[in-house]
Amino acid sequence: MNEDSTQLSRRNFFKAGTVLASGVAIASALTPYDGLLFAAEAPGAKGKWYGIGIDITKCIGCGKCANACKQENNVPSDPFYFRSWVEQYTIKNDGSILVESPNGGVDGFKQSVPDAEIYKSFFVPKMCNHCAKSPCTQVCPVGATFETEEGIVLVDENYCIGCRYCVQACPYGCRYIHPEKGTADKCTLCFHRLKHGLQPACFEICPTEARIFGDLNDPGSKINYFLKNHTCMVVKPHLNTGSKLFYNALSPEVR
Amino acid sequence: MPQHIKRLLGVFAIFIVLFLVMRQVLKPSSFGKLGHFRADAIYENTLKPMHYTVADSCTKCHRTIRTEKDKGFHKNLKCEVCHGPGLKHSLFAGQFKVGELPDSLKLNKPGERKDCGVCHQKNAARIKILFDTINTTMVRQIDLAEHNPPDLKANEPANCIDCHNPHQP
Repeated sequence: MNEDSTQLSRRNFFKAGTVLASGVAIASALTPYDGLLFAAEAPGAKGKWYGIGIDITKCIGCGKCANACKQENNVPSDPFYFRSWVEQYTIKNDGSILVESPNGGVDGFKQSVPDAEIYKSFFVPKMCNHCAKSPCTQVCPVGATFETEEGIVLVDENYCIGCRYCVQACPYGCRYIHPEKGTADKCTLCFHRLKHGLQPACFEICPTEARIFGDLNDPGSKINYFLKNHTCMVVKPHLNTGSKLFYNALSPEVR
Repeated sequence: MPQHIKRLLGVFAIFIVLFLVMRQVLKPSSFGKLGHFRADAIYENTLKPMHYTVADSCTKCHRTIRTEKDKGFHKNLKCEVCHGPGLKHSLFAGQFKVGELPDSLKLNKPGERKDCGVCHQKNAARIKILFDTINTTMVRQIDLAEHNPPDLKANEPANCIDCHNPHQP
């Protein structure tokens, strides 16, 4: 065998490298790679980009949102299937934390700790955070869950294989497997209502207007007013999920 | 080129063609249009039935209750908070005379102690002041065990609506 073909000289290496690099550059200029485009432009930079605000100081824990969600979306009534639910956090004088959510708060709450033992207590309504970098869509092996252009995380029921990866991946516990369909199910931000220009059911129903919903790209929207006037925080910010569910007066105990 | 390499290339070509054909058959037509998912699924998600309506659709017919409610503390409450989802009712109830409404279109009429207690039963987490731009209000907290306890002898527990008008409490 010829010695030149096995041993690449420095000159030939640079030659081949230059040809390869320019080839890739030309090819990508002709058909831009979608992934690169996505990285160049932040998601939701154009059009609507929905965000959610929840004011913990206003929530009275009536559980109407959890109830409305179940009825609007035909969620099974068993006490372990929830798209939206409410938790009561009670921090006792001895520092221990008690988290209660009887039937997701659908039937309301009963105070289980006497007043004298309570340091502080508050309700936290929970629902899908509609993350911009959602872990649940990244793990789906078949592409049955995705983020729309408006920033809403949806499930494709006809394509889901029910493998439960996304249920495990969600750090907020917002997904479940529908017992009849056998597919993953989650909050759609009432996508069917949004398309008719209506608010999602839980926002429509909240009696104290503790829930705020709107377009983050619209400077005059309710949600932007809410974010401007309150000190808001997302749950588990260290996970960098790009959560778009902002809580006012969120205690660090909330997980 | 040696014979065995040619044969191998042929086998590879068959596999690649087979893959492309199968991909064409098995892949849903809208998959990959907007990303790694079926673009049609966005439309399919909009087809689900609605159950809740908006407050305006109730007050088109129930005007008297609206004027009553606007004077009381419950003025910011939507009808469906207490009466349940009412889209079907708001669409079809107009076809029936008063008193002839079928049961399927009737809405909840809550008024028992547990129904009002959902918001008004005393709870340490519930005592909070709601600020709005004009005035400061608070969700009234009542200890249902103490407040006008049901008369056990008569075996007729007093309901909240026996004394309070829920539209104008």
